[in-house]
Amino acid sequence: MLSGCQETADEVSVRSKDVGFASERKYTASDTAVKTAIENPINALKREGIEPEKISIPAIGVEAKTLHLGTKENGEMDVPDTIEDVSWFEPGYKPGENGRAVIAGHVDGIDGPAIFWDLAELEAGDEIIVEGEDGQLVFRVYAMESVELELADVQSVFGYRSSPELVLITCSGDYDHNRGTREERLIVYTELVEE
Amino acid sequence: MVSLKKIFVSMSVAFVLVFSLLAAGVMADNHTAKLRVVHASPDAPAVDVYVNGDLTLEEVPFKADSGYLDVPAGTHNVEVFAAGTEYAEGEAVLQADLTVEAGKAYTVAAANTLDSLEFVVAEDSMEVTEGKAKIRVGHLSPDAPAVDVGIIGGDALFSGAEFPAITDYAEVDAGTYDLEIRLPDGTQVLPLEGTELAAGTVYSVFAVNTVDSLEVLALVDYEMAASPDGMPTTGLGTPEQSQTNWMLMIAAMAAVLAGGGVVLRKRFQN
Repeated sequence: MLSGCQETADEVSVRSKDVGFASERKYTASDTAVKTAIENPINALKREGIEPEKISIPAIGVEAKTLHLGTKENGEMDVPDTIEDVSWFEPGYKPGENGRAVIAGHVDGIDGPAIFWDLAELEAGDEIIVEGEDGQLVFRVYAMESVELELADVQSVFGYRSSPELVLITCSGDYDHNRGTREERLIVYTELVEE
Repeated sequence: MVSLKKIFVSMSVAFVLVFSLLAAGVMADNHTAKLRVVHASPDAPAVDVYVNGDLTLEEVPFKADSGYLDVPAGTHNVEVFAAGTEYAEGEAVLQADLTVEAGKAYTVAAANTLDSLEFVVAEDSMEVTEGKAKIRVGHLSPDAPAVDVGIIGGDALFSGAEFPAITDYAEVDAGTYDLEIRLPDGTQVLPLEGTELAAGTVYSVFAVNTVDSLEVLALVDYEMAASPDGMPTTGLGTPEQSQTNWMLMIAAMAAVLAGGGVVLRKRFQN
């Protein structure tokens, strides 16, 4: 087992093996043109987001304080030092704005499971509740995938969308000792539940 | 006015995206383009849009836009049918082979009246200078004359926009502008007073419907936000450590057992 093998399979990699789905999504036709008669339609386009302080994912029993972090010196999205907190990528989109707001959490700590240990268990339709000072938003899971690090297009995962989305990220796959991290990232895509 | 809004809101039917994103393989890869469909034909019914023979958008009404869909880079057969029509190859009211490049965004508008339906395709901008806004206009009103769009009592931002065309973008300082759509002789066609153009935002403003009921369909093409250079490192544990710990424990247990064995044997020998 220790004969030069650089990837190590363990419980995390087994649990995140072959996960992934994408569900059919409903799009709502915008009524922006309609507002012409009432107000300037251009001014009706702006969607305000909230700065997340806490997230809850009832389906997997997650409740976590949400830190506001940016990038590390090497350019990577920064993550909490703790295993019980998650972090929102503050320089990116806010939850509720058009675009993909991103929240990351650890899958494991040195001694065992961390806050996103069960993220791979999520199913289409599961809800993520994001709370901030300005209110609360509910997002619904529509797709999940575990992507090899070199295939993950960061611009897309953190990119602009025509509607508000929230992306949750944790580590998955086998542990790569050369890189000092797991080979894959579990990415959960969720969309805002409109009132 | 309020009742008008209500009527229109109730008309904003949900339409369905049937296009399978999994068909493209990895969602978070970099081989997709963004494609947005706009129904801009004033007398056409709601439509179904097929991409490569697959029902992709269902019941898109006039003045609706699909938002950006991810499609694989390459050439796609885009066909438009009246909503609910049974699909038959070559029977579309409108068809085009559309080539899209990875990393780019496009608007595909079904424009003109039903009997002369045509696609108007434009590449959309996904970048803007920090602190600035970008705006362009589309003339998609089939019977309206050429128009200018500019500051009320001031300069034109766009001159001589004719059907069916989408202009290039103009980059302007973020701020509030009293805009209007007007004829080249200065006659106002549609006021857009107090237009707030937000920093880091790219806008498309399409004039739609017939000239006697001209209205504006406003869309956001892009809003700027930062992204990191790399995915987060979201695991603090390393299997090596725990594995090493296990090895040590097993070794220790083996030693204990071996030792115990020796002791036992000694006892038995006694």
